[in-house]
Amino acid sequence: MINRIFSKTHILEKALDATWKRNEAISHNIANVDTPGYKTKKVVFEEELAKALSRSEFHGKKTRDKHISIGSVSVDDISPEIVEIDSTKLRVDENNVDIDAEMTALATNTIRHHALVQKLNGEIQRLKTIINEGRR
Amino acid sequence: MFKSMQISASGMTVQRLRMDVIAQNVANMNTTRTADGGPYRRRLVAVQENIESIPFSQHLARSRDAFRGKGVKATAIVEDPTPFKRVYDPGHPDADEEGYVLMPNVDTLKEMVDMISATRSYEANVTAFNAAKSMAVKGLEIGRR
Repeated sequence: MINRIFSKTHILEKALDATWKRNEAISHNIANVDTPGYKTKKVVFEEELAKALSRSEFHGKKTRDKHISIGSVSVDDISPEIVEIDSTKLRVDENNVDIDAEMTALATNTIRHHALVQKLNGEIQRLKTIINEGRR
Repeated sequence: MFKSMQISASGMTVQRLRMDVIAQNVANMNTTRTADGGPYRRRLVAVQENIESIPFSQHLARSRDAFRGKGVKATAIVEDPTPFKRVYDPGHPDADEEGYVLMPNVDTLKEMVDMISATRSYEANVTAFNAAKSMAVKGLEIGRR
């Protein structure tokens, strides 16, 4: 029961972790904008989350932690993954950091983080109201 | 959580070092005598991605968490090997018998371009730092009334 109460905040928490990870990756890209041979790092998460949230009914039930998941993955099993973009080349020195794209991603990521925090606060507020039976 | 800020700080440090070296180059534009003898040689900063090294025993355990970046680091200050400029100036104290002086291989134009590039990169790092800061501050609001 208590797990189900926090299922929504749990997803938000995962997404918040991903925004922090992405912030690290973008900061790393920006710090290495002049490093010869450096390749852009990117965090992939939202697609995986969407897949996990819209998973089909068919999936193996896990009775132990070490079981391998069958069928679609659950939200608990996904984590932000870092991929290196090494197919492109932007400059003669093999560096492929697109500073405009990085700054845009940085701004988007910050706003996404703020939005998630706001949603999480709303969720916590909702739970508080329920616990107080609607009283203030 | 503070890793982002440290990464941005490392970027700022490197850009500031580049700026220092550029200032050194511009200041020594006309230096014909150095401690090593001969005119001043233009200097450049060599930068490299800074990656956290993990012990071999932890490689498998941490393979999923593939991001080990720690920002950027300056590895060396290297000298520009391009030849010196040979200028005819018989009145110069360092002129040879034919009246030619070897001048430093510093090109003001190049230095100015590098300086703008370093400034802009520094600013980009500052922006990234501020973004991380605003995220951290926003995170403190979680669960507050």
